[in-house]
Amino acid sequence: MNLPMSWLRDIVNIPDTTPVFVEKSTDAGLKIEGITTTGEEITNVIVGQIKSLSRHPDADKLWVTQTDIGKETVQIITGADNLKEGDYIPVAVHGATLVGGLKIKKSKMRGLESNGMLCSIGELGCTLEDFPYATEEGIYVFPEAHPLGDDAKPIMGLSEEVLDFEILSNRPDTNAVLGIAREVAAMYDKPFALPEITVQENGGGGVSDLVTVEIKDADKCPRYIARVVENIKIAPSPRWMQKRLEAAGLRPVNNIVDITNYVMLEYGQPLHAFDISAVAKKEGKHNIIVRTASAGEKITTLDGVERILNENTLLIADCEKPLAIAGVMGGDNTKVMDSTTAILFESANFDAACIRATSKRLGLRTDASARYEKGLDPNLSAASVNRAMELVNQLACGNVIAGSVDIYPAPRLPEAIPFDPEAINQRLGTKIPPDEIYAYLQRVGIETRRGTTSYEAIIPTHLGTGWGEVDLAEEVARFYGYNRIKSRYAQKIPATLPHQTGMSPRRRRDMAIKQALAGLGYFEALTYPFESPKAADKLLLPADDAARNFVEITNPLGEDFSVMRSLTLGGLLSSLSTNFAKRNDSARLFEMAWEYKSLTEERPRLTLMAYGTDMDYLALKGDIEDLLSAFIGGKYVFTPLVLPYMHPGRTASITHQLHPKREATSLGYLGEVHPQVAANYDIETRVYTAVLDLDALHTLAEGKKLSFTPPPKFPAMVRDLAFTVAEHVTAAEVEAAIRERGGQYLAEVALFDVYQGKQIEAGFKSMAYSLRFVAPDRTLTDEAAQKFLTAIRGNLSQKFNAQLR
Amino acid sequence: MLEKLSQLREEISQALQSPTPEAIENLRVKMLGKKGEITSVLKGLGALEPNERKSAGQAANELRDWAQEQIDTAKVQAQGVLQAQALTTEHIDITLPGKRRGIGRLHPLTQVYGKLEELFISLGFDIVEGPHIETVYHNFDALNTPESHPSRDVTDTFYFNDDYLLRCHTSPMQVRLMEKQKPPIRVVVPGKVFRRDEIDATHTPVFHQMEGLVIDKNIHMGDLRGIMELIASHIFGANMKIRLRPSFFPFTEPSAEVDITCYACNGKTRQDPCRVCKGSGWVELWGCGMVHPKVLENCGIDPAVYSGYAFGLGVDRITSALYGITDPRFYFENDVQFLKQF
Repeated sequence: MNLPMSWLRDIVNIPDTTPVFVEKSTDAGLKIEGITTTGEEITNVIVGQIKSLSRHPDADKLWVTQTDIGKETVQIITGADNLKEGDYIPVAVHGATLVGGLKIKKSKMRGLESNGMLCSIGELGCTLEDFPYATEEGIYVFPEAHPLGDDAKPIMGLSEEVLDFEILSNRPDTNAVLGIAREVAAMYDKPFALPEITVQENGGGGVSDLVTVEIKDADKCPRYIARVVENIKIAPSPRWMQKRLEAAGLRPVNNIVDITNYVMLEYGQPLHAFDISAVAKKEGKHNIIVRTASAGEKITTLDGVERILNENTLLIADCEKPLAIAGVMGGDNTKVMDSTTAILFESANFDAACIRATSKRLGLRTDASARYEKGLDPNLSAASVNRAMELVNQLACGNVIAGSVDIYPAPRLPEAIPFDPEAINQRLGTKIPPDEIYAYLQRVGIETRRGTTSYEAIIPTHLGTGWGEVDLAEEVARFYGYNRIKSRYAQKIPATLPHQTGMSPRRRRDMAIKQALAGLGYFEALTYPFESPKAADKLLLPADDAARNFVEITNPLGEDFSVMRSLTLGGLLSSLSTNFAKRNDSARLFEMAWEYKSLTEERPRLTLMAYGTDMDYLALKGDIEDLLSAFIGGKYVFTPLVLPYMHPGRTASITHQLHPKREATSLGYLGEVHPQVAANYDIETRVYTAVLDLDALHTLAEGKKLSFTPPPKFPAMVRDLAFTVAEHVTAAEVEAAIRERGGQYLAEVALFDVYQGKQIEAGFKSMAYSLRFVAPDRTLTDEAAQKFLTAIRGNLSQKFNAQLR
Repeated sequence: MLEKLSQLREEISQALQSPTPEAIENLRVKMLGKKGEITSVLKGLGALEPNERKSAGQAANELRDWAQEQIDTAKVQAQGVLQAQALTTEHIDITLPGKRRGIGRLHPLTQVYGKLEELFISLGFDIVEGPHIETVYHNFDALNTPESHPSRDVTDTFYFNDDYLLRCHTSPMQVRLMEKQKPPIRVVVPGKVFRRDEIDATHTPVFHQMEGLVIDKNIHMGDLRGIMELIASHIFGANMKIRLRPSFFPFTEPSAEVDITCYACNGKTRQDPCRVCKGSGWVELWGCGMVHPKVLENCGIDPAVYSGYAFGLGVDRITSALYGITDPRFYFENDVQFLKQF
C-alpha cells in the first residue's frame, strides 16, 4: 500500500526521521518495500507572477513576459497563449532541472534574452489527472496567490515521500492508513485509538423513514449499513484530498466518489454510493435487498459491461432489479452523476470466499473486491460510514440525514483463546517474564486475563479470527525482537547413522555423472520444463505419436509455455540454437530433466546435445561408451533405430547386456538429430544427441558388482591384422568373428583404421585391427599368438570372404 | 711389438681429436672388434717368446683397457655434443595454444546446491526430491494455506485442473515426508519450483529452492536462528550478518524473512542508494519459520510433543548474490560463454 509519510505522521506521532522509521518498521514486521519522493529530479522551480506581457517583435507565436520571482523581475519568453498579467505561475529559473533531467539555462529566443522557463504541468511531471482543471497545452496557473520566490514543488504536491508498505496476507487490517498507524503506535509502544467522529445531521427526516434493508443470505452478508445524504452538490474534491488519493494510486473523480475512496484508504472498508432516485420504492421506502442472483440474471456494471450472473453471486438489489454486484462493482443504473441529488451510502460486510469466487468468475477485480476477499472486520462498517458523513459535512457536498439502517444480526465479538506464557517461551527459545509477554500483546490491543484453567488472550476483531497460541508467540517475538533470540546450534547426534543419511546413492551418482560429463567437455544446462505444443511439429512427430499427448497447463504464460514437455529434446535444441546464433563455434550441453507423461508420471532423462567441428556420431558414441563403462561396465549393443526426429541412417538404440544369456536392458538412443529438426530450431549445422533413461542407468549401476581382477603380470603380445571386406559388413560383426576364434588369451580387439578409396576395390573397405593377447601365467610366445591369428584369419575369410593384406 | 702398440696408441689419440659418434664406433671396431687390431695383437701374443710375451702382454692389455676407456669417454662426450646441438635447434614457441579437449562445467545453480548439500550432510540431514506436478492438497491444503491466500490464485500458480498444479514451492515435500516418516526428521529438499511470473530482468517462471525441515522434541526458534546463521556463513563467509524479519507464511508461525547484509554495498551506502538493496543495506534471501501446529496435525504428528522449523532457500537468489549475477534469465539461456565462467 502506498502511503504518503505526511498522512501517517498526521495520525500517529513518529519520533524518528523517515529512514530510521523505515528500518524500525521493517524490523517489526511492517516492511517498507520502497520509498519514492514525488518530483525528486525537479529543482529550482519557484513561484513567479506575470508583471507584463507583450508580443515578441520578431515572432508571432512568442510572448515576452516580465516575471517577478521575488528577489528580482526577469524577462522570460514563452510560447503559451493562456497567460494574463497578474497570474501566479511556476517558473524554472536559470539552472533549474525539469522532468527527464532537462536543464534550464539563460538563452536568446529570436534575439531577445530569456532567463528561464514558465512551466506547464507536463514539464513538472504531472498530468491532467493530477490537475483536472489545468490546461494541458498552456502554462500551469496557480488557482491562488503564493509568496513569490517560494519553492513551487510542495505547493503542487511534488515533494512528498510516499512509502510502499508490504501487506501480509494474514493482516488485511494493515491495508489501511489507520491499520498501519495502529501498527506503528504498537511499534513505538504508544496508545492508539481510532479518531473520534462527529457527524452533523443537517438533513431532513430520518433514514429509517426513507430506506428499508433486507438481508436474505446472512452467511454471505453479515452486516449492511445504509446512510443517506440529500441536497448533493457534485464538485471536485479539495486538493489535499486529491493529493492523498493520487499518492495512494487512486484517481480523483468528484467529491462523493473521492470520499468513498478516501474512507476506504483510511479504514480499509469499501463504501458504495447509490443514486437513491434509481432505487425502487416498496411501501413508500427505497428498498435494498441483499440476495443471491438467479442463474442467468444480468446486470450492466459501472464500466458499461453487461455481466451474466449465477446462483453464487451476491447482489444488492431493490424489489425490481439488481443494483450492484455486492463487494465487486456497482451497477450502471444507480451510478452517481452530476445530476444526482440524493445518495445512499452503503457500508457492508460480505463473506470473503463469496466475493473472491465472484471476482474470479467474472474476471473482475476492483479495489473493493481485493479488500473484501481478504476478509474484513464487520465492526469497521459503522465507523467508516460515519467518517464518510463527517467528510460530507466537511466538504459541504450535501446534508446528512439523521440515523442509519444497520442490519447486523450476529455481531462479531472478540475471541478468547487460552495460552500459556511458558509455551510461548518454549517455542521461541526465550525466557521472557510473563508480565513482559502480556505487555507486548497489549501493544496490539490483545488483553490478557486469568481464565478458568489457564491464561486467556482476548483477540480484538480487527485482528481477524482463528488465532492460536503460536500466533501470540509471533506477536511477542516481533516486539521482543526476532534478532534478540539467541541462536542455538545443533548438538544432537543425527537421527540416523551416517551411511543412511545425506545423499541417496542415486543423487550421489547423479552428481558423479554430471562431473564425468563435465570432464568429457559438456556443460550442464537448465531449461524450462514447459514448452510450446508446436515443439511436436518442430520435432516432426506424426499426428498419432504418443509424445503429442501433452500434459497441458490451464493458465500458462502464453502458448510458448503451455504444455509440459513429453520429450527432453526441445529445451536443449533451443539452447543450442542460442549458442549457434551467438556464433559459438561449438557447444556441448547436457541436462538431467524430466519427461512428463501424465499428471503422476515424471520420467528422468539424461540428455546430451552438441554441435561443433570436433563432434560427430563417433565422438558422441565414444563419450557415451566412456560414461557407461565407468558407471555400469559390461557390454553394449548398438542397433540401428528410426525415430521421427533423428537421422534415419545415423541413429542407434543402446542396450546393455551384462551377460549373453541375461536379458538386455534398453538404455536409450544416440545419433544425429534429423537435419530438418535442426533447421526448425535454426541450427545450420549437424547436431548430435543422446537420450538416456536415468532410471535404467541407475538400476544397472546399482547392480554393478564391485570385484577385483589383478592387472596382468606379464607383458601383452600385440599383433595387427588388416584385410578388406565388403562395405556392408559391420564392425560389430567383424569383432564378433574375431572374438569367436581369438582364444582364451585375446584381451582386447581395437579397430584402428577403416579405409575406402584408392587401391581398394569399389564396394569394399579395408579394416585394420590391433589385437592384444595376454596370458595370466607367462609371456606369450610369438608362435602361440600366431596360432590364434591363423584361426581368426580363417574365420574372417570363411564368414566375410575377407582378403588379408 | 711395443712399437706397434705405441703406433696404435698414437692412432687412437689422433682419431679421437674431434670425433663423430660414427667415427668412434668405426674406431672401436677397427681396434677392439673381433678382428680389430688390438684384438689381433692380443691373439698373437701366444706366438711370442715367453720372455717377450710377458711384457708385451702387459703392454697390450694396458693399451686395450686404455683404448676402451678413451672410446667410452669419447662416446659420452660426442653424444653430449649432439644432444646439446639438438637442444639448441629443437626449441618451439611455448606460447602456442595447447591442444585442448575442453572441460565442461556444472551449472552454477548445481554448484551452489552442491555447496549447500555439503553443509547439510555434515549436519546429518537427508536429501530427498519430490515431483514437480503436485496435488493441490500437498501444495496448499495440508500446508494450512487459507483459500484467500494470493498464492492460490490462477495469476500466481500454474494449474492442470482443480486437483493438480505445478508446485510453487518445495514445501509440499514437508507433507509427503511427514506422512511417511515420524520424528525425528531432518531433511532438505532441492528442486525446481514454478510461479506464474512473466519473464523479465528479475523474474523467471521457473526457479530453484532448497526446502529444509527439522521436527523433533523441544525445537525452538533459537535452533532456527542458529541454522540460518550457519547457512549464511557457509555460503557467504563468516563476516556476513543476517537479520530475521517478521513475515507471514501459512505453514509457519512465527514466520520470518532472512536478510543478509547487502553483498553489493556491504550495507554502507545509505546516501547514494545501492542498486541491489535500494539503499536499505539488506538483501532478502529466503523465508523460514516454526512449523505451524496445524501442519503437524494434518500429517498425523502431535504438536504437543513435537515442534520444528522449516525454511525455503532461494538458490537462484543465493547464486546471484554470490556471483553478482544481475539477470536470472542467464540461468536458462545455456550460452556456453556464460556457463564456462563457473
